[in-house]
Amino acid sequence: MRLLAATIAVAAAGLTTFSTAAAAAPAPVTAWYMYGSSSSELKSYAYARGCDFAEAQPDSSIRVLLLDFGAARKLSSSTWGAVDFSNTRFSNPDILAALERAADGYHNCHVRGGVDIVYGNSNYHLSGSGMSATDAWYAGYHQASRSEDLSDYQRSQGYDSQTADAAGDMEPSWDGPSITKQLVAGNEAQGWALEYDFGSADGCPQSGSGNGPCNNGWHVGDVGYVSFHGLALPLPEIYYTANAHQWAVVRKWWDGNQGGDYFFEGATASTGVGLTPAAAWNTLDSLNSGRVDTQLVCFGC
Amino acid sequence: MKLLVTMLAVLGLGSGLALAAVHLPVPAEKAAALDRLASVAITDSNVEPAAAPSLESRPIPGQMVGSDVPVPVSPSIVTVRNGWLVSDGKTLVAVYAGAGGSDPAAGRVVIVRQDLIAGRQTVRAIDAGPTGALTITAAPLGSAVETSAQTGTIRLRTAGGRLLTLDVGAGTVSQEPHTTRLR
Repeated sequence: MRLLAATIAVAAAGLTTFSTAAAAAPAPVTAWYMYGSSSSELKSYAYARGCDFAEAQPDSSIRVLLLDFGAARKLSSSTWGAVDFSNTRFSNPDILAALERAADGYHNCHVRGGVDIVYGNSNYHLSGSGMSATDAWYAGYHQASRSEDLSDYQRSQGYDSQTADAAGDMEPSWDGPSITKQLVAGNEAQGWALEYDFGSADGCPQSGSGNGPCNNGWHVGDVGYVSFHGLALPLPEIYYTANAHQWAVVRKWWDGNQGGDYFFEGATASTGVGLTPAAAWNTLDSLNSGRVDTQLVCFGC
Repeated sequence: MKLLVTMLAVLGLGSGLALAAVHLPVPAEKAAALDRLASVAITDSNVEPAAAPSLESRPIPGQMVGSDVPVPVSPSIVTVRNGWLVSDGKTLVAVYAGAGGSDPAAGRVVIVRQDLIAGRQTVRAIDAGPTGALTITAAPLGSAVETSAQTGTIRLRTAGGRLLTLDVGAGTVSQEPHTTRLR
């Protein structure tokens, strides 16, 4: 009945709408930190992760397969990519090849539902690696382009149960707001891929709706920008109850200052921390009722 | 057309998009991408399997991870001082030492484990109490320890200079006995 009423409301309003979740935590799906020592190894692991994800997919909805390739980097004067968690540098062509193998693995092991395969990176020490704001903009632009390239590959292969997007682990503590925003701006300029923000609102206030300070010179509005400006969508890390409160402040600030209707694509969770994945999603939802969609990605599940 | 796509998605027709109870207006700049997401099917028109790449697994010798190497774990969990990493190509262990994300007085270690064959990953935060930030001062290094070090020990130093031992396999932090030997 609620569904029918909602559908009628959509038709009556004549608006494009975003569907948010029923108030029950979805089953978590695994997200992966990518460690690799060669491009061939990266492809091999990505294929396996795509297959693992498909075999374990808990339901028939479209779920996010988040592969975190490390920190965005400019590798040479005209090459962008990432440095992974074992300090191996991978160019975007290497990463695209790995993402295509993840698509192959998902296809070969597909059981139910669909997948959004996501090229994840982070704002870890962009400035410290010598990148300028312009470099960060291009990093965001090219990351989105590779996501579109992956989608082209999926369509060319008849992988109709798949699509592709981008994601950023935007952490205030890892670099300043100005250069981090350029990742989002570059993605927006490319104009095709969603960019899920699976970062934190580290150090931000846990109550109120103002533009209070966060870590490293950030403010609540900066977190709002990297998580919801342009094609950005928040998929925030909710590891402790405090994190959910911080993100509720971000949502309230955005709604009060940027025109309203901030919503969450879901939550990023982990095992071995304060909140279980289900509790993470439920806590975020309880503070932002009707504004949290059904994605729940989990590092460590 | 956009409305039709949305309604079909809401009804779950021709798509696997999760059903909804509440609807919010979508900012115009996100509409096309969200419509694309809503239009994803739940079957493939291609029913032939893709060629699988040969399994390639290369060990990573035991090595310290400096501040120039990205940390996967959020600063809201741990503010990392340094880390350590090893892999035998099948299983990988990474240890990140520092302080609690919201409490710099609390020593904390995070262990990331990956079983690259079975497709499992775990993340575990281990608290050491009010030690201040922890730093790894000694850990097994090199290619000879790619498997053994995954259940070995690592030496930690507290902010006050006290030495602790992390049992990587057990995931416990203890006062360092005089006989502790790094394996």
